[in-house]
Amino acid sequence: MSAFKTTLTGYARYRGREGQISFLLHRITGLGVLLFLTIHILDTATVYFFPSLYAHAIDIYRTTLFGVGEMGLIFCVIFHGVNGLRIAFADWFPNMKLWRITTERKSVLFTLAISVVLWLPTVGVMGFNILKHNYGLFGG
Amino acid sequence: MTTVPEHGYTRQVKVKPNYETIAWQWMRYSAVLLIPLVWFHVLLQDVIVGVHRIDLDYVQLRWATLGWRVYDVLLLGFTFAHGMNGLRQVLNDYIHNEKPRRVVAWVLLLGWAVITAIGGIAIIAGVRK
Repeated sequence: MSAFKTTLTGYARYRGREGQISFLLHRITGLGVLLFLTIHILDTATVYFFPSLYAHAIDIYRTTLFGVGEMGLIFCVIFHGVNGLRIAFADWFPNMKLWRITTERKSVLFTLAISVVLWLPTVGVMGFNILKHNYGLFGG
Repeated sequence: MTTVPEHGYTRQVKVKPNYETIAWQWMRYSAVLLIPLVWFHVLLQDVIVGVHRIDLDYVQLRWATLGWRVYDVLLLGFTFAHGMNGLRQVLNDYIHNEKPRRVVAWVLLLGWAVITAIGGIAIIAGVRK
């Protein structure tokens, strides 16, 4: 447990700037997606094991709270993918020197920007669906 | 393994691949495959179709096509293995003794096998009404 405490205080105190933020985000988004994935495999498996429960699970998915959480999940999926590509690219093309600290800082910010740009349209569509189906707007 | 020092030349070092090397390489191979697989799955189910139009009939209709079942088996196999091995790597950062590491690895392997089997049975057996 003390190793865990040292880790957490270390994460907070260490000033690794963009590289460290990117490492933390990669870790948090990865763990977040894994948590959802575990639930998602089990709730989808109810279609065979307990079909009557599936509608209940889907009802939870349709709530506004879960919908907003799902928007966050989609950001996690996008960021984890884009950042993973950044890391793989830096390894595959050593001539581009993407691991140099100045280049890395720029590429981390670029990765965040791409992730947000890819994410915003999905927030728009999912937000529209929530407003339509849960609040009766747009003729829902 | 290739290392690039600051003064520019490349040095090749032969390292005999061990278990962790292979696990690490598979993390990267699966990652490359997962980007199209997962992104398309999320785009289709969450954004284009949307959770308000998903029910038992939808799942049944989708799994009536063999291709979608194969797609979902690939998703299940690669995402969950990538995630559980990722969790093992994360935990190894905080667990520094060999014995607890081994316990964690076995627990994760068992959890991975059980949940993958549950998901796999559902995809193969299909919707039951």
